[in-house]
Amino acid sequence: MPENIRISIYEVVGSPLCVASDDGQKVFERLSIAFKTDRNVVLSFLNVTTLTSAFLNAAIGQLYGQFSEEKIRALLKVEDAEQDDLVLLKSVVDNAKLYFKNKDRYNRVFREALNNEA
Amino acid sequence: MKFNLPPIRRDHVSFETLANLYAQTKESVFEDIVIDMSATNWFDADMCAAFGAILHSLGNRLNEIHLRNIPKNVELILSKNNFLYHYGRKRIPDEYETTITYQRFDVEDAHYFASYIENELIHRSEIPKMSLGLLKKFRGSIFEIFSNAVSHSRTEFGIFSCGQFFPKRNQLDFTIADLGIGIRQNIKEILGLDLSWVEAIVWATEGNSTTRRDNLPGGLGLKLLCDFIDLNGGCIKIVSDAGYWHRIKREIVTKQLKYPFPGTVVVLELNTADVGIYQLTSEEIDPEDIF
Repeated sequence: MPENIRISIYEVVGSPLCVASDDGQKVFERLSIAFKTDRNVVLSFLNVTTLTSAFLNAAIGQLYGQFSEEKIRALLKVEDAEQDDLVLLKSVVDNAKLYFKNKDRYNRVFREALNNEA
Repeated sequence: MKFNLPPIRRDHVSFETLANLYAQTKESVFEDIVIDMSATNWFDADMCAAFGAILHSLGNRLNEIHLRNIPKNVELILSKNNFLYHYGRKRIPDEYETTITYQRFDVEDAHYFASYIENELIHRSEIPKMSLGLLKKFRGSIFEIFSNAVSHSRTEFGIFSCGQFFPKRNQLDFTIADLGIGIRQNIKEILGLDLSWVEAIVWATEGNSTTRRDNLPGGLGLKLLCDFIDLNGGCIKIVSDAGYWHRIKREIVTKQLKYPFPGTVVVLELNTADVGIYQLTSEEIDPEDIF
């Protein structure tokens, strides 16, 4: 197995429309195996025309439940993504970090906010 | 049994009507259900998604549906968009090509749904020329709704969609409905929060929630949609259970319906003349600084 791996999202999904959570899961499974063996991964968005947060949550967001931020930052690079796709990816990543840092607190805070508004 | 259907518009009154149809028929099995449409002198075509969802649930309980006395103007539009084809009528060619076909999808049909969107909305010359940025955001938004329905509704009956565009008004309406457990029940089961119907929709649109059972972070989909619609100058409406919520120009209106809708409906009203660039932040994102 090479030290550095290139994963094409288009190739994994088989379509430029990367919208379904199930397809994101396929990308996640490849990333997860690579990270467990400390491989560097370049994730290519080449030829991807449409992304959803559901896809990215499954593909990348859930990595934060399994690996540390430091490890993900060290091993994962993205390429060929358009600026608006990076904006969406950044939102998904920030949301996932927040969520996995403290799942219970995350849900409690909103409830308190809701009660304060009432 | 017989149900008299009034005009159907994209508003809380019509959602209440459709929810009432469900309430009156939810115990019906092996019955003839006659829907008298003689008073239905208007039908917003994309509302076929919500209407079709309810009729589909009736059919699932082996009821026979009879749509009677449909006014000519309504029959024409519901024939052009393929809706009446599901109930034994002929499909009429849509010479002005302003309809977006009514269709039902199973939850595992994401790729089929993607092809439908490409064929109905992207590769048609009749659809108003939207800027590339708008088209990409619009396409992404529709998939966000579909993914949301797949991820959260736990529906067994599938997902229903339909649309219509109005070239003179520069408006494109698109509706997606499911017959799932609804936003409120989902939050209650997963997070143990007992919110009101309207609070539950607010929760889901705030972007800080998650109701996935499989340890996936989530909850951004509807928030992103709202951000996009604010920039576009369009409108988004959500009905889930007895909650009705709509947002236009950042203003939110909520109402409680008299009868709960048996699932969730998301309606988008898009301003197709918009030439916005659609980057939701002015900050450039450095690919080296994401994780």
